[in-house]
Amino acid sequence: MKGAERIEIDRRYCKGCMLCQYVCKYEVFEVGQERSALDYLMPRAAKLENCRVCRLCESHCPDMALVVVAKKKGKGKE
Amino acid sequence: MKKGRIKVMQGNEACVEAALLAGCRFFAGYPITPASEILEGMARRLPLVDGFCLQAEDEIAALVSVVGASWGGAKAMTATSGPGFCLMMEAVGLAASVEAPCVIVNVQRGGPASGQSTSTAQGDLYQARYGSNGDYSLITLCPSTAQEMFDHTIRAFNLAERFRIPVIILSDEVVAHIREKVFIPEPDGLEIAERKKPAVPMEKFVPFQAGEDDVPPMPAFNTGYKIPVISQAKSLNGNRGNAREAEAFIRRICRKVDARIAEFADVRTYGDEKAQTAFVSFGSVSRAARSAVDMGRERGLPLRSVEVKTIWPFPDDLLEKKLEGAKRIVVAEMNLGMLRNEVQRVLRDPEIEIELFSKIGGLYPLPQEFLRFLEEKR
Amino acid sequence: MNPLGEKYLRKDFLPFLFCPGCGNGMITQAFLQAVDDLGIFDDLALTAGIGCSAWIAVYMHADVLKVLHGRAIPAAIGLKATNPSRKVVTFTGDGDGLAIGGLHLLHAARRNIDMTVILVNNQIYAMTGGQVAPSTQAGSRTQTTPYGSVEKPLDGCRVATAAGATLVSRWSTAHPKQLTRAFKKALNHRGFSFVEVLSQCPVQTGRYILGSGSPSFNLQWLRDHCVPVEDPARMGEVEAQGKVPLGDFLEIQNPEFMEEVQRMNREAKEARGKGGDR
Repeated sequence: MKGAERIEIDRRYCKGCMLCQYVCKYEVFEVGQERSALDYLMPRAAKLENCRVCRLCESHCPDMALVVVAKKKGKGKE
Repeated sequence: MKKGRIKVMQGNEACVEAALLAGCRFFAGYPITPASEILEGMARRLPLVDGFCLQAEDEIAALVSVVGASWGGAKAMTATSGPGFCLMMEAVGLAASVEAPCVIVNVQRGGPASGQSTSTAQGDLYQARYGSNGDYSLITLCPSTAQEMFDHTIRAFNLAERFRIPVIILSDEVVAHIREKVFIPEPDGLEIAERKKPAVPMEKFVPFQAGEDDVPPMPAFNTGYKIPVISQAKSLNGNRGNAREAEAFIRRICRKVDARIAEFADVRTYGDEKAQTAFVSFGSVSRAARSAVDMGRERGLPLRSVEVKTIWPFPDDLLEKKLEGAKRIVVAEMNLGMLRNEVQRVLRDPEIEIELFSKIGGLYPLPQEFLRFLEEKR
Repeated sequence: MNPLGEKYLRKDFLPFLFCPGCGNGMITQAFLQAVDDLGIFDDLALTAGIGCSAWIAVYMHADVLKVLHGRAIPAAIGLKATNPSRKVVTFTGDGDGLAIGGLHLLHAARRNIDMTVILVNNQIYAMTGGQVAPSTQAGSRTQTTPYGSVEKPLDGCRVATAAGATLVSRWSTAHPKQLTRAFKKALNHRGFSFVEVLSQCPVQTGRYILGSGSPSFNLQWLRDHCVPVEDPARMGEVEAQGKVPLGDFLEIQNPEFMEEVQRMNREAKEARGKGGDR
């Protein structure tokens, strides 16, 4: 199964719209505590282990501020 | 003696001839009397030199597509008359704001609105300078003969390329349709200017930064520069500017032309340069003014005709010089006093009244009417 | 930042001026994905007018000509005519493209000029604060229809089709994969291609018309109210339910404007004998 190494949210551009949370089918995100450079509350990948690297969050981010970094091959079942 | 040939042609045809020789390869226009011959001439000639002529859906599309073509790298022109000129006004400001070299011919006819489509007039003078919104500057040339239409069209393209501005050729129905001899020089006898291109690659190029001459180099699209050209007041890198940047931008696009009037101003005198009575005119009215000067000479009356060829930016210094010593000044124009107002602004001598000989309604002022005016208004 | 952004966006202009949750950034990403897949970014010449969606073009690190309100299409024609090998793409909105720019849309489609018009439809004039647009549903209360709009909306896809467009699609920001595919088809199409994108505007359409300014509410609205149809003949069925049909409605080949102009030029020169302009 695919997994995410981490989810990078670019604090220079995130506007806290939470569409990533909305589209995610695996409940990875919650509203975080950290604010972006634009002063919006950023999402946090609270349940990273649920992530299947479907990249819906990436393709839906209106600010192209989100990147899902997949686990490298060999670090778990494919 | 320059080599070339002489052809009898209309002013409008002379415009087409000159535009092609200047390198114009894109024309967009809309049919309108008395300018349609220019669109039609371009439609016939441009395809034969791999150019492109478009009859646009309206005059707005015509001038905006000219601006697009200019950024596409081409020398581009449009031609219209008063009502179409009105429609183009927003795009005149656009051309000024994106610093797109282009030539706009306005063949004036009776106004206001639909006015008198087949009669001459000169009512668009202010509009040629101030018709668009905001502060900007441009150059306006006024031909009075078919030859001048030819010469000014070449000049218009050269000035447009040099300053990266819209240049307006303010013609009128008489100049457009009169048929007379035009000397067409051989191509190698013509001086043709080209816009400055960037000397540095994209990484070092700051699109709206200019050197001493206030004119930034202009790359064509798809030559590797990837520049943002927006119609807002801009900062040096092309983004919307803050107050300081917007101010600097507006001042520069005005200064690039206004600070250099002496380099291109053209005001000519015909007749007795010392005559105490002077006519001031532009466009086709200058023809009648000259004949009036000749008539006066025959009657022993010394007269001079001062003819404005570059009317915007207004050539204050040069006009003042040409009117030195004149005690009686009559501005003759086919509107209700637009040029007169400028002359008044420039001269401001309480001893001299700037008189206005207005001929409107579509009939052309005859030479004898100039002399009658002098007598009757003594 | 998303690798597509790293590769193609104009960094010194970021962040996007779009509101949080705006569909414009999603359209930017879908478009960049299409362009990246096709490898045509360097051939792009973009034009845009005035409005929120016009800024999509500016944020891409390409040659962009952002002109007056409604006039992006004439600017595109000037660019296309001076070098037909350019990939000319115009970004417009429902106001910019269907109101003030409507005439230019008609004639460019009629001419079947090889270019792509992407019309971002958020059903309102967003940039200026929420006034009614030609695409706004009847009955909507907006800044300029405070008692409810009495006008029927205009369907950009039908207009483009009737005028002569040869590729017509409508998708939404809730369908980014289909949107990217539609962009690719449009960019590859030889002729006038028109892609309308239903897009969320949480701040204006959301708050004033739909009842919520939440980005997720507005994206959900698109999911609920946009129905993909395989067969364009079924558009009326979807509309009768008060929903918006999405799909690839039209793809045909007709003589393309620049090709026809070049053919005509060749014939004119041949008819003249040796050519030249005498």
